[in-house]
Amino acid sequence: MKRVYLAITMSLLLSSSAFAHFQMLYTPESALEKGATIELREVFTHPFADEHTMDMGKQHDSEENSSVEAFYVINKGKKKDLLNTLQTITWTGSHNTAAAYKSQYKAKRMGDHLFILQPAPYYEAGEDIYIQQITKMVVNVAGAPTDWDTELCLKAEIVPLIKPYSIWTGSTFTGIVKGNGKPVPFAEIEVEYLNRDVNLTNNAMGPSYIAAPQDSFVTMGIKADANGQFTFGLPRAGWWGFCALGAGSDKEYKGKELSQDAVIWVQVKDMK
Amino acid sequence: MKKILVVTIATLVLLSTNAFAHTALMSCFDEGDGTITCEGGFSDGSSASGVEFRLEQNGEVLLKSKMNEYSEVNFKKPAGAYQAVFNAGEGHTVYIDGDDIVE
Repeated sequence: MKRVYLAITMSLLLSSSAFAHFQMLYTPESALEKGATIELREVFTHPFADEHTMDMGKQHDSEENSSVEAFYVINKGKKKDLLNTLQTITWTGSHNTAAAYKSQYKAKRMGDHLFILQPAPYYEAGEDIYIQQITKMVVNVAGAPTDWDTELCLKAEIVPLIKPYSIWTGSTFTGIVKGNGKPVPFAEIEVEYLNRDVNLTNNAMGPSYIAAPQDSFVTMGIKADANGQFTFGLPRAGWWGFCALGAGSDKEYKGKELSQDAVIWVQVKDMK
Repeated sequence: MKKILVVTIATLVLLSTNAFAHTALMSCFDEGDGTITCEGGFSDGSSASGVEFRLEQNGEVLLKSKMNEYSEVNFKKPAGAYQAVFNAGEGHTVYIDGDDIVE
């Protein structure tokens, strides 16, 4: 009987988490006073509830996880490949451990450092589909805007209309969901707050900040307008993730359905 | 005639407001080869090419130059304390102490 309860609980947990996967591309500070070497963590997780961390690049037909497909940064229009900076790590979430990456980057030059991470598609056994989240994050040095709004014509992309590193608490973020450079009308977007201390030393999630009053506040579902544009108010300081589901053009991987999503992270600061 | 005058004044006011709304910005780093690179810019993303750059030590100007086409200047790191100065006009001058410039 206990087994039945356990099975039901597990299936509920799995079903509640199935739509809230977020590829995290984390660094502690996105608006730097001056150039510095920054720490980065690449983790596939659920940033609000942290109920399950996923093995990046997990495949349905192999025990081995597939490697990251692309990881690069653009500063003042110059692209630098960062694939060889990735080091595999085991990330410790609140409920399990999973394969992830860490890296360092020398953000030496002034302006925006626009990071793009394209992980291998991840096999989600609960839905028998693959998920690939092409993820964008921007670090700025010394306040000069250079590349933050560059449209890269990625297969799936959120193009920001507000600098992702320069947002006061209580203001808003606006972006346009695009697939191969074309707006995605009425795109479905999930929004989550990174509700955890991130422990870079131990590669682990720390305690949560707040509790959601109800499940719909954990992963907030919104929609873009007819032009693929959306705006969301940001009520609390910290990192917020936006994920446009299925915005990409690739719909199949290894014979299975693929959800090719676009993710962008923005960092919000208190006025104090 | 009046219309032309009003439009001209309005344009001048707009232009001047625009110029003062921008914040002058500079960031410098040690290249690790005995030289320093300083990059200039403005908060609206406009180029700092041609903006005056000075290197000062004990109140003396060691170098007076202009930001190049990439809004940068590179110079030999002086011995002792120094200041890098980005001079984009009154109220738009940025000073960085040499002690704060690292690799």
